[in-house]
Amino acid sequence: VRRSAAEIALSLGVLALGLGVAGVTATLPSEGGYAGIGPNFIPAVVGAGIILLGSWLAYEAFTGGWRNAAPDEPAARGEHAFNAAGFAWISAGLFAHMALIGWAGFVIAGVVLFACVARGFGSARPARDVAIGLVLSLGVFLFFVKLLNVNLPAGWLKPLLGSAGI
Amino acid sequence: VEAFEALIAGFGVALKPINLLWGFVGVTLGTFVGVLPGVGPALTVAMLLPLTAKLDPTGALIMFAGIYYGAMFGGSTTTILLNTPGESASIATALEGNRMAKAGRAGPALATAAIGSFVAGTLATIALTLLAPLVVTLALKFGPAEYFSLMVFAFITVSAVLGTSTVRGLTSLFIGLFFGLVGIDSQTGQPRFAFGVAELLDGVDVVVLAVGLFAVGEALYVAAYQSRLTETVERLKGSIMMSLEDWKRSWPAWLRATAIGFPFGTIPAGGAEIPTFLSYTVEKKLSKHPEEFGKGAIEGVAGPEAANNASATGVLVPLLTLGIPTSATAAILLGAFQNYGIQPGPLLFQSQADLVWGLIASLYVGNIILLVLNLPLIGIWVKVLTIPKDILYAAILVFATLGAYSLHQSWVDLLTLYIFGLLGFAMRRWDIPVGPAVIGLILGPLAETQFRRALSISQGDATVFLTQPISATFLAITAALVIVPWLVRRSRARRA
Repeated sequence: VRRSAAEIALSLGVLALGLGVAGVTATLPSEGGYAGIGPNFIPAVVGAGIILLGSWLAYEAFTGGWRNAAPDEPAARGEHAFNAAGFAWISAGLFAHMALIGWAGFVIAGVVLFACVARGFGSARPARDVAIGLVLSLGVFLFFVKLLNVNLPAGWLKPLLGSAGI
Repeated sequence: VEAFEALIAGFGVALKPINLLWGFVGVTLGTFVGVLPGVGPALTVAMLLPLTAKLDPTGALIMFAGIYYGAMFGGSTTTILLNTPGESASIATALEGNRMAKAGRAGPALATAAIGSFVAGTLATIALTLLAPLVVTLALKFGPAEYFSLMVFAFITVSAVLGTSTVRGLTSLFIGLFFGLVGIDSQTGQPRFAFGVAELLDGVDVVVLAVGLFAVGEALYVAAYQSRLTETVERLKGSIMMSLEDWKRSWPAWLRATAIGFPFGTIPAGGAEIPTFLSYTVEKKLSKHPEEFGKGAIEGVAGPEAANNASATGVLVPLLTLGIPTSATAAILLGAFQNYGIQPGPLLFQSQADLVWGLIASLYVGNIILLVLNLPLIGIWVKVLTIPKDILYAAILVFATLGAYSLHQSWVDLLTLYIFGLLGFAMRRWDIPVGPAVIGLILGPLAETQFRRALSISQGDATVFLTQPISATFLAITAALVIVPWLVRRSRARRA
């Protein structure tokens, strides 16, 4: 019998989500006026549905694997083996961006994100990536702030960007 | 006749210079972003949403119509010139279009796709103009119970009936429904699943979910499994003109495909996947040159491309007249409407006739813009395709994060975006469809409201959904769609 650890983990994850939804639903009020149902009714239905679906997925995972799923072997999908570094660089870029944007500003956070993502896709030219990222982020920043009046943080570049941004 | 007058007034709105400009901007940007490999129509619309933040509603919606059409056409260019189809609806085009390009006939393939999209889009818009008032008349008779049952029908068809796995489709739908519950309950003001986080009280934004699933998830997936694969962009050699023979073989395919695509778009059948394949199969059956199929038959591009556009227009019928999105892209469009406080549905045709008919008129205009803009600019679109993957995805993520951050100027939305990205990665890797989740997020809260309204009217009597004839019919059809295929499979299994 084919058994995939990932499928089992995902099935149990869905099941856990359903239990979580059900648990939070239990704390919601149930009074609902004329309808006779309150704000907890649909959450209860959704929670029960997710629990049921998680159990169904788990049943499939333990009895021969999910039906009609994509092949586990990357080569069978016409792809290469999992590239952990690529995945990690993109994640790191997004977290750095999250941390920097409110503090260092939109442009600097954008440059860091751009360089990290490009690195994750195998770029070996960080200087080029920083340059392109800077032109792009600065262009987008000025376009949104000056033309569309959308507020974006200027951060450390505030002295250079003057009145633009917040 | 009334519809005709309304449409004329609509043209008055759509042809205002400023609205015409927004149409042009929308088509151009939509095509540009839609051409980018790995960016489908749903992501294109979601990423370009922040651009309309400061426009008036009419201008914004007209720009969106342009983006929607541009994204569709952009996708077909990518499919023909690159051998990786961006979305499932393009697989049929990839079969023949990419072969034609490899054989040095990229020009006629792109031309038949563009002209076919124009013909199908225009005919389908005429059908929309005629059909919409009829549906509106019918829909005005709907009460909350009818709406709820219709939404249940849409939920089941998009998640359980189509696709490779009923259980995974339903799982995606229910995850979307769960996200739809986050925030303040519209009926009682009760916060649900917000855990005291201010950003969550507003609910999960459809742009954050769509961009997370389609942009961040896709970037993670491609980096992990496809970044070392090489792709070849086919060169555009020779003339883009179609020969007389090409015309003769294309136009019947366009017309047949429109007849297939439009009706499929109007029902909740999960988008353009089925009609494009159906059109491909029909063309293969009817062709005088069946031996060319698989080697670059022009009918195999003309048909599916026209079907794709006709069904994209058909999707607007339930979206505008009933407020029900039947594809992920339509769900994002509905989210855009809601941002302006506009709730599509039969009442909108009465209360804001200018806006609705202006939008419909702009579809005619958008089709023309698409035709005059795209064939001459084809050289630029080819250049766009050669942007290296590292630069491409880095730029996509800069825009993706911008859309999420501009909601509340808060990093919390960026964390949510990343979590949706992980979810999108997992769903792509383990073959769980993402469309039902996006539809569930948008349609779930609407369905809950109708459900509770129906029960309020009936004083808590839940049989109301079965005793009202229209509502009962919808539920019966839904039940049949689930039970019949299951019975068929069972009897087959027993015979085997």
